Amino acid sequence: MYKVLPENIKRGHTILEARGITKRFPGVVANDRIDFKIRLGEIHAVLGENGAGKTTLMKILFGQYQPDEGEIFIGGEEVRFKSPLDAIDLGIGMVHQHRKLIPAHSVIENIILGHPRAGKILNLKRAEQEVLEICEKYGFSLDLNAKVWQLSEGEKQLVEIIKALYRGAEVLILDEPSSALTPVETEKLLISIKAMSEGDLAIVPFITHKLPIVLQISDRVTVLRKGKVVSCIDTSEATEQSLAKEMVGRDVIFRTQRTTVEKGETIIQVNDLSAFSDKGVMALNGVSFSIREGEIFGVAGISGNGQRELVEVLAGLRKPEGGSVSLDEVDITFADSLKRWRLGIGYVPADRIAMGSIADFSLVENVTMNYYFDHEYYRRGVLDTKKIRELTNDIIAEYDVITPNVDIVAKCLSGGNLQKLILARVLSRKPRLVIVDLPTQGLDVGATEFVRNKLIDAKKEGACVLLISEDLDEVLSLSDWVAPIYEGEFMGILPGEDAKRELVGAMMAGIHLDEESA
Amino acid sequence: MKIGSHELKLERRVSLSGWQATGISILAIIVALAIFSIIFILAGVNPLTAYAEIFSYAFANPFGLPLTMNRSIFILLCTYAFIIPFAAGLWNIGMAGQLYAGSLAAYAVLLALGVKEFQSAELPTTLVILMMLIAAMLGGAFIGGIAGFLKGKYNINEIVVTMMLNFMMFWVVSFFIKEGGIFMNPGGRGESFELPPSLQPSLIFGIPFTIFIALGAALLLHFVLHKTKIGYEIRAYGENPTAAAYAGISNFSMPLLVFIMGGALAGLAGYHYFGAVPGVYKIARNYGYFGDLAFYGIICGLISRGNPLAAIPVALLFGGLSIGARFVQGKMGMSFGVDFALLGVLMITLVAFQFFYRYKFIWENSKGEP
Repeated sequence: MYKVLPENIKRGHTILEARGITKRFPGVVANDRIDFKIRLGEIHAVLGENGAGKTTLMKILFGQYQPDEGEIFIGGEEVRFKSPLDAIDLGIGMVHQHRKLIPAHSVIENIILGHPRAGKILNLKRAEQEVLEICEKYGFSLDLNAKVWQLSEGEKQLVEIIKALYRGAEVLILDEPSSALTPVETEKLLISIKAMSEGDLAIVPFITHKLPIVLQISDRVTVLRKGKVVSCIDTSEATEQSLAKEMVGRDVIFRTQRTTVEKGETIIQVNDLSAFSDKGVMALNGVSFSIREGEIFGVAGISGNGQRELVEVLAGLRKPEGGSVSLDEVDITFADSLKRWRLGIGYVPADRIAMGSIADFSLVENVTMNYYFDHEYYRRGVLDTKKIRELTNDIIAEYDVITPNVDIVAKCLSGGNLQKLILARVLSRKPRLVIVDLPTQGLDVGATEFVRNKLIDAKKEGACVLLISEDLDEVLSLSDWVAPIYEGEFMGILPGEDAKRELVGAMMAGIHLDEESA
Repeated sequence: MKIGSHELKLERRVSLSGWQATGISILAIIVALAIFSIIFILAGVNPLTAYAEIFSYAFANPFGLPLTMNRSIFILLCTYAFIIPFAAGLWNIGMAGQLYAGSLAAYAVLLALGVKEFQSAELPTTLVILMMLIAAMLGGAFIGGIAGFLKGKYNINEIVVTMMLNFMMFWVVSFFIKEGGIFMNPGGRGESFELPPSLQPSLIFGIPFTIFIALGAALLLHFVLHKTKIGYEIRAYGENPTAAAYAGISNFSMPLLVFIMGGALAGLAGYHYFGAVPGVYKIARNYGYFGDLAFYGIICGLISRGNPLAAIPVALLFGGLSIGARFVQGKMGMSFGVDFALLGVLMITLVAFQFFYRYKFIWENSKGEP
């Protein structure tokens, strides 16, 4: 069934074409007459802010959505996808941003899952042989018998890529491929992508904000803005500035300048704090620091080095194993999360969908999450919904959250808008301590700039900020103090002006400040 | 599917209004009745006559209507017992056990007051009835609370716990009311002692006063779930426990609270049937039948999508059809089980039609295509 591609399509010819694709959702035109061509053997990046229509376009190309108008052609023939199965059969593969693998199964079992031939009797040996051939062709190295849960994020992504290739994908769509990867893994991914494009595959990475990656690997780039194609050019003609400008529609400042404000009293004092991870391992190991009014304290490190445990202990969602925490000289080591909200800790979690918001609640109800316990917003147990609605309207106006109204459910918001809403909700409480975990992950340039400026505003108003980030540039440009974290310990705490990129990078990899200077 | 120049397409719904849901449910009922006509036709009965009989007996007959009401109130209270935990994303399938506990607790009040021996209480009737109501709620709440506690504290699956408590409570009731039990009817017969006439609550147009409790609970629940702080916490926990914990909502007290509330309402259902329905006034020998009937609370709760006001007509329909169909079965000389079969078909159809809560068919003009 698959491999319907006419043999005469050569490298450089158009393999997939979309003409006049239009898709409307209530209140928005997600895709507005989009024309889009992919050639065989090219890496074609699609850029756009959150909500620009990338995801919709991708889902249409993969058959998850049906376009309201417009046609799709593969190898010059018109096709209609009723479901992703049709798209897969016609040689389109997709690697989602969120992994869709079964952790308890082995790599090979995941790869053959859903393959038409795997329906009857499993011939794992033959499958393994075929998969190994694919790996060899593109130079992938992967233990096919490892269980998926043992793999790193980058390896899991590779499994999904191989899975798509094994099903005969000629066009591979990668949704924000580098979003969950560490810098090293990203390098590996880019090498794999290059290798695949040389093997006559068309690759379409959808990338939101990592402009350097676009410039580094892609052959052509299409920029979307508000559902329309703004430009489609050869990457060699583009620069970081020009792409950002087209994406956002205005000039963008890349480096937020650190502003120093007068420092006040100590707000939070953490002494020798330690905590177990969910797996029962000591993941946070004796961390001490304090933050004063008007300071941003940046914790730099690769995810999984104890940041999550640190944040959860401070937010009251995880019991500390040792140490103490005080906020404005009140001991809160064992306070529950509600008490901490009341005392003035505001927490913006890394996982906006699973923790930071409630997908099927309206925006008003989502704002209620941080206000339902506030005596100003309820009386005798009855919530003052009118007041919360006014508040919601105020904060979405102030934070420029793009939404038709405040009654739509949160899952209709794009990632950037959702993050703005959560940040607005938390900061509007005027917290003493703001904890932000990966605040700009997955956000486009415009939204990133906005979020960073809001954090600086919070500090100017006399709050203190605990910033957790994997993005070294972000930590370095915002923080008054930089604490690289490695395996649950701070490798040192550096004043912002002394924190040099190379030094912090080395400390993130486990070199202690004392060893470095010695 | 294509017909002429038009195409029938299936599309995912973005939203569903209350009216659309109502329309879909009514359509489902009509389809279910149409399907069930086959049974009547096979039995040689004109389905239209049969349905006319069913509905007129259930809703317009001086004998049938009170029976319908008794049963509907019971189902309605059980529905609430399901709906409250359901709003918190939890499944209470222990209405049976909770209503048994409620009934026992209500009769325990009488035992404590010496009613069993002296057939009267020293205290005023209203006070005793009030005490019975409170005891019924506490009894149900206690059994429900066990499941809620285990869920909140140790994350033990609430479905398993409530289900097992049903079996346990079934035998506990048996232990108390059968031979040798302290609640035993002096005449034996495997049922509890009877409520003395002085403690039998008076009827309003032939309907027990518990109807006001049931209807009042609908309004109260609707208000609590959608307007109050506690209702918000329950719904937030139900939608996303992780996000709720983030917002400071306790993952321990929410399950406990909803199961206490649900159990209390199931306890009231027990009081209603064994303490307020004319002609019963005791924990009847066939109490297990009412335990089974309580399961209609789940189906009514699902059909009304957790909306306590929408549950009223649904419970009325199920109560009425079960009474009407039983009557028709006897009158038309049909074989045993017509009422259960009808409710079963109705249930399956209603659940199947929930498909249309998520999808819709649309006609699309596909002209202009090659």
